[in-house]
Amino acid sequence: MSRTADAAPILGPRASLADVTDRVCDVVVRQPAPLWWWVAVGLSGAFVVLLVVAASELFVVGIGTWGVNIPVAWGFALANYVWWIGIASGGTIISALFYLTGSEWRRATNRIAESMTLWGAACAGLMPIFHLGRQGLFYWLFPYPNVMGIWPQFRSPLLWDFFALICYIFASILFWYLGLVPDFASMRDRAPTTPWRVFYGLLALGWRGSASQWKTYQTVYGILACLLAPMVVSVHSIVGLDFSGGLVPGWHSLQFSPYFVFGAVYSGIATVLLLMIPVRRLYRLETYITGRHLNVLAKLMLVCGLMLTYSYGLEAFMPFYSGNIFDLHMFLNRLYGHYGATYWVKIALNCVLPQLLWFPAVRRSEILLMVLALSVIVGMWIERYIIVVTSLYQDFMPSAWYVYAGTVWDWSILLGSVGLFFTGFLVVLRFVPIVSISEMRETVHEHVGDRP
Amino acid sequence: MPSLNGSDPGLDLVALRRRLAGTRGRDYWRSLEEAAGHPEFARLMSEEFPAAEGWSDASIDRRRLLQVMAACVALASVSGCGPEKTRKQLLPYIREPEGMVPAVPRFYATAATLGGFAEGVLVKHYQARPIKIEGNPDHPASLGATSHWSQALILSLYDPERSQMPLQRGVPASEQAFVSALFERRSELLRTHGRGLRILTGSVTSPTFAAQMAALLRTFPEARWHQWEAISREAVADGTTRAFGRPLDAVLHVDKADVLLAVGSDLLSWAPGHLRYARDFAAKRRATETGGRMSRVYAIEATPTLAGSVADHRLVLPPDDIMTALGSLAMAVKAAPEGFAPAPSPWLAAVARDLVAHRGAALVHVGPELPAEAHVLVHAINEALGARGHTLDMIEPVAVGAVNQLGSLGELARDMNAGAVDTLLILDVNPAFTAPADLEFAGALAKVPFAVHLGPYVDETASRCVWHLPATHDLEAWSDALAYDGTASIIQPQVRPLYLGRSAHEIVDLLQGSISPDGMALVQNTWRGRAPAGAPFDGFWRAALRRGVVPGTAAKPVDVPLRGDAAAQVKLPAGAPRETLTVLFRPDDGLWDGRFADNGYLQELPRWHTKLVWDNAALIAPRTAERLKLRGDDMVEIAQGGRTVQMPVWILPAQAENCLTLPLGFGRRVAGNVGHGTGFDLYPLRTSDTVWRAAGVSVKPTGRRYHLVSSQHEQTMAGRDMVISAPLDQFAHDPDFLHKMDRRDPEAPTRSIYPSYDYPRYAWAMAVNLNSCVGCGACVVACAAENNTPVVGKEEADRGRLMHWLRIDRYYSGEPDAPGTYFQPVPCMHCEDAPCEVVCPVQATMHDSDGLNVMVYNRCVGTRFCSNNCPYKVRRFNFFGFTRHDPRLPDAWNPDVTVRDRGVMEKCTYCIQRIREAEIAADREDRRVREGEVKTACQAACPTQAIVFGDMNDKQSAVAARKASPLDYQLLAELNTRPRTTYEAHLRNVNPELEEE
Repeated sequence: MSRTADAAPILGPRASLADVTDRVCDVVVRQPAPLWWWVAVGLSGAFVVLLVVAASELFVVGIGTWGVNIPVAWGFALANYVWWIGIASGGTIISALFYLTGSEWRRATNRIAESMTLWGAACAGLMPIFHLGRQGLFYWLFPYPNVMGIWPQFRSPLLWDFFALICYIFASILFWYLGLVPDFASMRDRAPTTPWRVFYGLLALGWRGSASQWKTYQTVYGILACLLAPMVVSVHSIVGLDFSGGLVPGWHSLQFSPYFVFGAVYSGIATVLLLMIPVRRLYRLETYITGRHLNVLAKLMLVCGLMLTYSYGLEAFMPFYSGNIFDLHMFLNRLYGHYGATYWVKIALNCVLPQLLWFPAVRRSEILLMVLALSVIVGMWIERYIIVVTSLYQDFMPSAWYVYAGTVWDWSILLGSVGLFFTGFLVVLRFVPIVSISEMRETVHEHVGDRP
Repeated sequence: MPSLNGSDPGLDLVALRRRLAGTRGRDYWRSLEEAAGHPEFARLMSEEFPAAEGWSDASIDRRRLLQVMAACVALASVSGCGPEKTRKQLLPYIREPEGMVPAVPRFYATAATLGGFAEGVLVKHYQARPIKIEGNPDHPASLGATSHWSQALILSLYDPERSQMPLQRGVPASEQAFVSALFERRSELLRTHGRGLRILTGSVTSPTFAAQMAALLRTFPEARWHQWEAISREAVADGTTRAFGRPLDAVLHVDKADVLLAVGSDLLSWAPGHLRYARDFAAKRRATETGGRMSRVYAIEATPTLAGSVADHRLVLPPDDIMTALGSLAMAVKAAPEGFAPAPSPWLAAVARDLVAHRGAALVHVGPELPAEAHVLVHAINEALGARGHTLDMIEPVAVGAVNQLGSLGELARDMNAGAVDTLLILDVNPAFTAPADLEFAGALAKVPFAVHLGPYVDETASRCVWHLPATHDLEAWSDALAYDGTASIIQPQVRPLYLGRSAHEIVDLLQGSISPDGMALVQNTWRGRAPAGAPFDGFWRAALRRGVVPGTAAKPVDVPLRGDAAAQVKLPAGAPRETLTVLFRPDDGLWDGRFADNGYLQELPRWHTKLVWDNAALIAPRTAERLKLRGDDMVEIAQGGRTVQMPVWILPAQAENCLTLPLGFGRRVAGNVGHGTGFDLYPLRTSDTVWRAAGVSVKPTGRRYHLVSSQHEQTMAGRDMVISAPLDQFAHDPDFLHKMDRRDPEAPTRSIYPSYDYPRYAWAMAVNLNSCVGCGACVVACAAENNTPVVGKEEADRGRLMHWLRIDRYYSGEPDAPGTYFQPVPCMHCEDAPCEVVCPVQATMHDSDGLNVMVYNRCVGTRFCSNNCPYKVRRFNFFGFTRHDPRLPDAWNPDVTVRDRGVMEKCTYCIQRIREAEIAADREDRRVREGEVKTACQAACPTQAIVFGDMNDKQSAVAARKASPLDYQLLAELNTRPRTTYEAHLRNVNPELEEE
């Protein structure tokens, strides 16, 4: 069974070099935006408006409009942050790590993955700023020379988190853009009107496709990939440090770094799947994004799910192994306390449901894959919510214990950021080739030959 | 107070207005009407009374009202201290007034009163502005400590919602108009010898007021003086009178009591002299300082009191059983004849044996809420235990004109209804709110043609009287008052009245025909007669003002024999049917009888046992709740004798079964923004027959729910060592027992990976003795007042955003019906290895060179990681711009402490402003800061000296001694945070006979 699935071709029957360019470029430069695009942009744009309203409320009235309190001083924003940065990381893993391993299937998916990374990281980047008490002063985290001679606290995980996030966002933009340069040149050459030619021409940075350009390009791209692949691990380790650097039971754990990397890749791959399946249908890219791709990603998702389940197991084991009363209380409380339901929903969505992916039939079903991907994405948000909230609400001092619940503004920020993500992705869909033309042509060249 | 010395040449608006009004005399009103349309008059009016703009406009909203009121304070303050407004320029000091150095505080002694009894305080001034209240160490009822009520006085002084102008039938009027009306009335009264003249006050100890009233009653022989305190001590007075044949007051010597039995006692909570008693009580509980000796404390009570919660053994009994128990006890200690009461239970027998074994060092105290019979019995028991002359002295009664208040008020109400009262002066009491419901006092007020209310707020009574006059605040007027032991204090004003306030002395003087009453002259007159002859009065007067007490005024013990049949005359109640519910009325821990409803500090002070804020609730025992199928927050209808109230219930451990405790004081109907709409008014249920207790009550769930807000949500220690408690015996056998129960993981590293620092200069530290703390909350309010922490309101408190830098945790252990109760004040621990510091990305919190964990507000960006990482959860965050929305004027804040803005973390600083002040003073003199020179606000206020603060580097310091105590422990020591704040473990002096049961 599985052999059949694995053996699904990496290209559809009608693949050719010309078809690649026509299909990918034309939807962007030659065809008007389809109706579904307008509907989707309208819908997600409405959520962007919600984000703007929620952010304005936040800046004008204050963080008090959120549900955060003492002891639960972090809430939705931190869960959102880790969630988005996790989603972003998954994209980078696909495009950078699998570039280094030379995986062929990556070529059809990397643009989607990188675009997702870009907007995921953008959404993630908003959260730490939103969550500050004095948002306008976020730049104080940056170690810039100043007349007062004040430097940031280099021992703080948050500081390194800030550095890691900034590096990651810039590297992701660079990687995405670099991969696009040859494609922008193709677009420039095919653009029907002068303004578009100028637009894409500027973005193409004078790309001619000469051998020397390709040689330099490949080197730089390889170096960036080499940088980015470990960066994913480091970014997520540092995000994990935000928690494990604290002494809060439920945070103070050595396993956070790998645990967070697993979780990040897991949610990232789920999001790629969720985006790829409709894009493939709507842009009629079935020839280039085939069952093979879906199968590979589904398997990867299953593997990540298993690794994450292992982390959950370890998380459950440690309190009992250490016998620490605070950890024990925290863990049992996660299971049976005020937020007990969230724990079991998390286990169901992240550990149990994805086991369906063992069945090739499930891996071939686009609908089921989308449902499973969505459940993983939701499950991963719940996981972060649990980590943030259930650790804080009952920590050391029983007298200070209290519960937390997000307010309408918390939800608005979360939903608004989802809107921002989709709007950003839709814009990419409209103006940028969503499958890397140059890389796809390489695949076609290798498999089909140079037939027109 | 230079502005009070008469040296200020500035003419204030009050005087200006009086002069204007005076020249026109009785034409004033006609002129006003004529002038009303005149634009110039309108301008003058709006300048003088900005708050009166749109006064009659019912649609005025809250925000507008606040703005207007704030503007009014500003104007009033300016008029009080600044130059005349029309001059339109402000001049700085060229030459400083003598003795005034900017930024150097000055302290003035005065006294705060509650129920008439004085508590000596010192008021801290910055450039003539009262900023903070401290206790007066020379005053016997304070000894340097303050109650939370006194601490909150500053907030009410600057309250922009205080009454600001006379009202005639609710419409702003001039004081001159009132004076004219009063004089008119007076001439009539002079003709009738004062028939129909009644004066209603609270309990009074003021010699000046007593003298004034005596003179007034001579002028108007047919006038009557009534008194009413809703939280009356009548049972105490009545019981004493019945036991001794005449009224007397008891002064306790708790410091001599080795065995103490507290029966429904207010000894540590609100009895006159409670601060002093708490101090003496606590001194006998610190076993490490007394050579391992500790007093043993028993309590019998129906509803938890502070004394009961810190007792070694507590017996929870319904009120009727308490009477029986007292009877049995009296019998057991041979204070009553055999057969007087049922034989004592084993518990009571053991207590009786213990009391008798400590003859001469035993004391029984009973609260004012118990009936007079209980007091008679307790007098008899104390007498049998040889308490007199040792743990207890009787003195002449301190309060003046002690009358049967309830009867007196009832008579007044009857006369009012009968139309026999035509002139009624209500001085600083609020009977329309607090009078027993059956008197229908509010309705009767309407029948008084000339009812005058003098009060600090426009309250329920003010709104029903023809005239309302703003009363001066306690810190604004001259007066005098006596402490629990008769010690007299002169009350001197700390600031010129911010509004058009008058004191009760001045009103009575007006009625006496004085044209310009002068409070100072009145008080001085009283004391001229009492000053020691021979010496110049001026010296005596100045010394009395400076010290805050008049020397040698403490009452001498009187030797009045107990009546032989004292106990025998008491008839014990027949056992009441068990199932019927009883209601117990109690003053609220914060609002008292309701007079403090407009004080945000007191509204937001977590109640001692329930930790509720901004509300009262019917407190009910867990078992009773189970039986009645009630949960916390359920709204119930409580009915008794055809009267009903609806309120939520709150399940309270250590509450007697079938007993509902109802804290009074909430549910104010006419109050400011702070006091209005909080809690439930229970006075409608309280009648003359049921002042403290109503039996045969029915409780019916209404099916509705309410939302009560508590500051503490977990009631147990969850199996953790928050408060370490051990029997005294264990400590006696092995003083080092605590260190042997090592709570750390033996394998865990004890050192941080970061290098440790030396603090060669000072190492400020705090030690909290859990054997002393009685959980009264004075420190919480003192901290708020000192450190400008904002009041956040019920909604924000519900969202977990209380801003108290210091909280008192209250834990229960054992059975909910009779649990052990533990109080634990938790300020910042100032950890050596502070977890908050390493996680702040911008170094907004860090250690200073004295080892303090400091918070740099201006650097804080508000990541809140520090709070998450604080295991003690003592950090507080400005989720909103709480201080921006505070209606207080900038002048009302402590200028030594930064006011924190939105988005900034804050926490206890160990009152760093006080530390720095002392360090600077010491540096200037090239010496070290001396022991005792720095007192944190909480430490200074603490009546029990539970909190000790000082320099750990000074091995002679009190704090070093406490740290060296074998009972000293760190909170959450297993985390290796190495706190600078440590606790002394709690000890229980258990009676072995009772423990065996």
